[in-house]
Amino acid sequence: MNPGLRASATGMIAQQKMVDVIANNLANVNTTGFKRSRASFEDMLYETVQGPHTGANDAQLPAMQIGHGTRLAAITRIDSQGAAQATNRPLDLTIDGEGYFQVSMPDGTMAYTRDGSFNLSDTGQLVTHDGNALVPDIVIPPDATNIAIGSDGQVTVSSGTGNNAIVVGRIQLARFANTSGLMSIGGNLLTETAASGAPTCGNPQEDGSGRVVQGMLESSNVEVVTEMTDMIAAQRAYEINSRAIKAADEMMSSISDLIR
Amino acid sequence: MNLHGIINSARSLSYYTKLQNAVANNLANAGSAGYKADRVTARMLAGQTQPIAVNTLDLAQGNIRDTGRSLDVALQGSGFLVVDTPNGERFTRGGSLALDASGQLVDQHGNAVLGTDGPLILHGKQIDIQPDGTVSVDGKAVGQLRLETLKDPGALKKEGAGLFVSDTPGEPGTGLSVQQGSLEDANVDPLMGTVDLINIQRAYTANIDALKAMDSVMATVTSDVGRV
Repeated sequence: MNPGLRASATGMIAQQKMVDVIANNLANVNTTGFKRSRASFEDMLYETVQGPHTGANDAQLPAMQIGHGTRLAAITRIDSQGAAQATNRPLDLTIDGEGYFQVSMPDGTMAYTRDGSFNLSDTGQLVTHDGNALVPDIVIPPDATNIAIGSDGQVTVSSGTGNNAIVVGRIQLARFANTSGLMSIGGNLLTETAASGAPTCGNPQEDGSGRVVQGMLESSNVEVVTEMTDMIAAQRAYEINSRAIKAADEMMSSISDLIR
Repeated sequence: MNLHGIINSARSLSYYTKLQNAVANNLANAGSAGYKADRVTARMLAGQTQPIAVNTLDLAQGNIRDTGRSLDVALQGSGFLVVDTPNGERFTRGGSLALDASGQLVDQHGNAVLGTDGPLILHGKQIDIQPDGTVSVDGKAVGQLRLETLKDPGALKKEGAGLFVSDTPGEPGTGLSVQQGSLEDANVDPLMGTVDLINIQRAYTANIDALKAMDSVMATVTSDVGRV
């Protein structure tokens, strides 16, 4: 069978994956803290029919290799900063710079997120919209009136009769050696993997962690124009590969016509 | 019986099949960063009566596309970066690099991208790569990417995954610059590839028509000649 036929098929599969990734990026254009992904491709293994060799009359000939198409090499999350959007809600937080909020999952494991839209639980604890607690625990007293969260993560409330400012906790951020190694688990959450390495937790604005901005949410870093142009390119590449399949098919069909 | 004509046509068919495979593979890889196209040409060697198909690796520069991701690295000029794979050192045109869990600079398969003093460990916030390959973290130079060129690029073989291998070692690269935040597109022109496909298909069909013609001549010869 013509190996070109399969090479073209891999090209079509690759472009289909590309469209899948773009579609997910576009679907999440309004998801808080969403980071766009990018599919990257690489060439497949080669069949070396003949290595570099010497032909007649000492002619130096390069290797004869047959390629077998392309494959998905990686889907890389692009962790660039999304634009901050003002909401003026005191429990909406943005990380300006590196780091993730730490969230404790119902099963006791930790998850990480850039989505800083927090709420209060029935006990006054800061939780995500799925009710998972922010770590370290921050509990706002019931009589607190004014919640102020500083860029260093310090959470201060006014409480009591004299409206005294009291510090109720400090938000900590987790950083990773390889943020692209974090795995998305949906719900705007990421988990640690062997590829990401263990988290380093620390205060905002220290050791390379970003600062916390109150009253703002981080928009997704999806740019619709870029995604649309990528989609057009993927569609055209898909078509061209299907043409190559058609050409190979017609070649094979005309050779089979030879037999009478 | 003289079968030269038929053999010639059959050889041409095999040549055009190889050409079609190469073009299909190039087109399939039009989206692979740093991919270098295969060009198959028919070459007539001295002392031979038939042209043979020769596969040349086209090392021409691909377009540099800005991505803004700091660990996307493209090369401008001829030469390679060196990565340490389980099978030994291999050459690559850069691509979408990353840091592994220990902060080491790696390619998409976790192979260490080598600096002049071995693997590069990068801990810090801001990674900068200068055009000459100097890698700095938070403004402090920590290493230098190994940039190499090959005296005989014709000896390069592809290994897939954007890796190239050569029997001869590389030499320190000159006339080669590193572009951070960019990727090099495959040096495949989809438009030319499509035109090539049409040409190949037509040439292939023409050869088949020639084969059919010769076949029918021979059929006439074998069945009619000698008939009284």
